[in-house]
Amino acid sequence: MDLSVILFYGLSLIVLFFALSVVVSDNPVYSALYLAITMVSLSFVYFLLQAYFIAGVQLIVYAGAVMVLFVMVLMMFDLKKEKDSFSKGRISNLLKVSSVGLLLGLIAGAVRMSTDLMSLSGMSHGKEGLGNTTKDLAILLYTDYVFAFELLGVLLLLIAVGAVAVSRIKGGTHA
Amino acid sequence: MPNLESLLDIGLNHYLIVSAALFCIGMAGVLVRRNVLVILMCIELMLNAVNLSFVAFSHYSENINGQVMVFFVMTIAAAEAGVGLALAVTIFKKFKEVNIRFFEQLKG
Repeated sequence: MDLSVILFYGLSLIVLFFALSVVVSDNPVYSALYLAITMVSLSFVYFLLQAYFIAGVQLIVYAGAVMVLFVMVLMMFDLKKEKDSFSKGRISNLLKVSSVGLLLGLIAGAVRMSTDLMSLSGMSHGKEGLGNTTKDLAILLYTDYVFAFELLGVLLLLIAVGAVAVSRIKGGTHA
Repeated sequence: MPNLESLLDIGLNHYLIVSAALFCIGMAGVLVRRNVLVILMCIELMLNAVNLSFVAFSHYSENINGQVMVFFVMTIAAAEAGVGLALAVTIFKKFKEVNIRFFEQLKG
């Protein structure tokens, strides 16, 4: 029994359990808390996969910035435990959940069937690891992907202006 | 039939299954829940599932391009959360309600 095996199963169980709690919890504040726990444990999974920079960014961006945004909006709405948190209609809900289950089974089956294909295409099963990934990532980001990176900066500026503009709309067709 | 050996030898498949399960949980949340904020949270869950499969592929094929994609997906997800929450605030100011049942009469 390897330590990484125990870590993988423990972290996966935590991630899936709290993700399920996000969906089934009645109180949106608890949902936000469970989502934060899911994000933090996912960043540990990234550590396990030796993606250290991504793990740090996950902690800062998701568990930090995005969750603070969600919790602030929740506090502003002052939501108590709500009545109709789930959609009505037992049959339609059953259909929705069973279609999602079908999708999960389909993906799991596809993954299992394609095991031989993926091992054929020259994957070395990650035994050696990628080494100093942060430096490689930075070099790649500023050479091959520099145009996309700059475009992302423009997008973020656009989003910042747009979010302020949208939240100042008073109603009516002209803001 | 998966034997004990394949369960203990963690490979790409195991991560992909976890990622698929996470995606499906998020999708079920989007379909079943009626609260705008919880729906946005479930969309974040789905994006995280995609990120997990990107990182797993990147690790097991020793190709770092996948991690650059994760970087981009994270930025887009943060932007999407920002715009979605701004819209939610606007709608809440108008209807005093976050249940999407009340948004049928969305007109100018």
